[in-house]
Amino acid sequence: MTKANLPARISLWRKIVDKLMTILVLIAVVLAIVPLILILGDVFMKGAPALSIGFLTNVPTAQNISGGGIGPAIQGSFIMVGLGALISVPIGVGAGIFFSEWSTSKLSTISGFMNDVLTGFPTMVLGLFVFILIVLTTKEYSAFAGGVALSLIMTPIIARTTSESLKLVPTSLREASMALGIPRWKTVLRIVLSTGKNGLLTGVLLAVARAMGETAPLLFTAATSVIFAKSLFLPTASLTIYIYNYAISGAPSLVTQAWGAALLLILVLLALNLLVKLTIGRNSSKARMEM
Amino acid sequence: MLGGALKISKHKSLDSPGAKIATKDLKANFGKMQVLKGITLRFPENKVTAIMGPSGCGKTTLIRCLNRIHELTPNAKVEGEVLLDGVNIYSPQVDPVAIRRRIGMVFQKANPFPTMSIFDNAVAGLKLAGVRNSETLNSMAEKSLRMAFLWDEVKDDLKKSGTNLSGGQQQRLCIARALAVEPEVILMDEPCSALDPIATAKIEESIVALKKEFTIIIVTHNMQQAARVSDFTAFMYLGQLIEFDTTSEVFENPKSELTEKYITGKFG
Amino acid sequence: MQRLLDKGLEELTTMVYKMGKDAEKAVTISLRGFLEGKDTTNDVHELSEILVGTTADVEEKAFSLIAKYQPVASDLRIINSYIKVAYDFERYGRYAWDISFISTRFNAKSNCDKWIFEYINKMAEKTLKMVKISISSLKSLDAELVKKITKTEQGVDDMYHEFLGKLVKAVGVSNECTVSSTLVVRYLERIGDHATHIMEAVVYIATGEKVTLR
Repeated sequence: MTKANLPARISLWRKIVDKLMTILVLIAVVLAIVPLILILGDVFMKGAPALSIGFLTNVPTAQNISGGGIGPAIQGSFIMVGLGALISVPIGVGAGIFFSEWSTSKLSTISGFMNDVLTGFPTMVLGLFVFILIVLTTKEYSAFAGGVALSLIMTPIIARTTSESLKLVPTSLREASMALGIPRWKTVLRIVLSTGKNGLLTGVLLAVARAMGETAPLLFTAATSVIFAKSLFLPTASLTIYIYNYAISGAPSLVTQAWGAALLLILVLLALNLLVKLTIGRNSSKARMEM
Repeated sequence: MLGGALKISKHKSLDSPGAKIATKDLKANFGKMQVLKGITLRFPENKVTAIMGPSGCGKTTLIRCLNRIHELTPNAKVEGEVLLDGVNIYSPQVDPVAIRRRIGMVFQKANPFPTMSIFDNAVAGLKLAGVRNSETLNSMAEKSLRMAFLWDEVKDDLKKSGTNLSGGQQQRLCIARALAVEPEVILMDEPCSALDPIATAKIEESIVALKKEFTIIIVTHNMQQAARVSDFTAFMYLGQLIEFDTTSEVFENPKSELTEKYITGKFG
Repeated sequence: MQRLLDKGLEELTTMVYKMGKDAEKAVTISLRGFLEGKDTTNDVHELSEILVGTTADVEEKAFSLIAKYQPVASDLRIINSYIKVAYDFERYGRYAWDISFISTRFNAKSNCDKWIFEYINKMAEKTLKMVKISISSLKSLDAELVKKITKTEQGVDDMYHEFLGKLVKAVGVSNECTVSSTLVVRYLERIGDHATHIMEAVVYIATGEKVTLR
């Protein structure tokens, strides 16, 4: 039946419905994106005035003295997230490998479930846990405790994303490797892991981004500090805690600095994202996988 | 109950001690389901043996038992013996990893390693086993790619990704990869089923050339393909061996009615 | 479930069976013509021409089935055999025509001695029987029956040699008779030979065995 034979009414009706659906979907997209854009815009406008070299490198000063900066917070955040990653990446990837390659064992199912519970765990509770475990026993706040608290948040995320990425690697690749007489552990490390490395990288990025934005777990573990850290076992500053403290202080100069710190945080996260996309992009053109 | 006794013809090769690999009452299970019900079969050395049968007859399971890949599936069990040069590869003293270097496999769908170049794919088995000498690797890569009839097409592009090739080329790459570890037996599970006729023809040519140095066992659905490349044919049905004979006999005058029905397309 | 090949096989079989019918008719008419002194050349020639044409058709059909369907096992044996059997039937027709030609040319009935005529009569009966059996066994594909029959009915060959021996020694036989009778028994022997071919094909189709029934 050609179009010419269809009654004109039906054809027009269909066009209208099509257009309507398109518009509805577009509205949904806009509604989803607009808040993000508004926030970014707000942060940018309020935070940009605070940005300067001094802002990035100086120590904080009293609220009425100019020239203060968030240097220690930047250093502290990187140290603690770095520490967290150092702990959580090996453990998380290892657990992820177990979940993926030994997925049929009961231990895997049970611990996998527990892992997923942990990913949504209230971070305040995790922070308190580390407070009791480390801070009370060592009798001091420290970057070390902060790093450990962050790793408790990061590990379950990395474990889950690793396991999902590795599960996407086709079984036929594992079999091909084993059929060549390559032992299982080598197959997992050299073939499975390298094939799933894009997913792994993305997972680590997700965990790092999450950790950089956490405040609650650092409250009782690293506390804060106004000087650059000289040891891992002393209270340490972090961007998120500074933002919190400055924002509620009420002092206009500090509030501006809070916006500046927030802007910096967002820029760092954007940079991280770009870095990972570039690395994955370079790998992908060589390794176009058909899944 | 399957009618008709097993019809194995008394071909000379079958009696001689020169069977490279053989099975003795081989049984295989997936959990409760028994897929192989006791297969006794001898594969003559330096010949191509085709295994045929309808879907579900157990032919893929059979060859996966030959290189001990079947047991990697969860809930999979194997009973009975598989003899390589007279030695049971399932005995506890035998290292399955070592067996898999002597018995290679090419899968139904080509599966080159996606993160590796053509060169690396070809010598993957050697590299991952620790071979570092670049002269060795280079010469093995060329040798195995030549044996797979792929060298001329890729010799200038060895560093390109393995997945950039066409389906037929990828499959030949997988054949080269299997050849590079210098196995004695090569198992092929319907290697051409996903390929066009020209790619199929190239692979069939390579199979015929390869049998001078290797013992080849190929699972195929296609009687004509079996006729083109194989010397012996085994017909399986519902986990049992129904007939084993020279391919020309099975092709022209199968002894079992079941075999005849299957290869003439009256079921299957 | 009917395979695509089955339709082609049916058509091929129909062609071959018709050839058998025509060939039997040709042989029967020409032999009767010879023994009764009638001119059957035209009728037999017509049948012979049809058979020649059908042989080509059978070959073409068989090759197209092989190319399209790549048959194996019993399918392949039948198709291969039909090509040969068609040729044997074509030969029946050709020899039948040759015989009808001779009887017209040399008028053996009036020119030959009684003993020669009776001999040829008996040989013709045997040959015709073999022709009939070759066609019926092709339809039934009964290999066992075929093997039994050829052992007991195999006489055409012997009669041929016996006749030649007798003719060479005989005295007072006219030249026309010598020539025509020699030719006729030769054609009868040839027809018998082709009948044997067909029966060997029957055994091959049914059992895959390649036998010699001579």
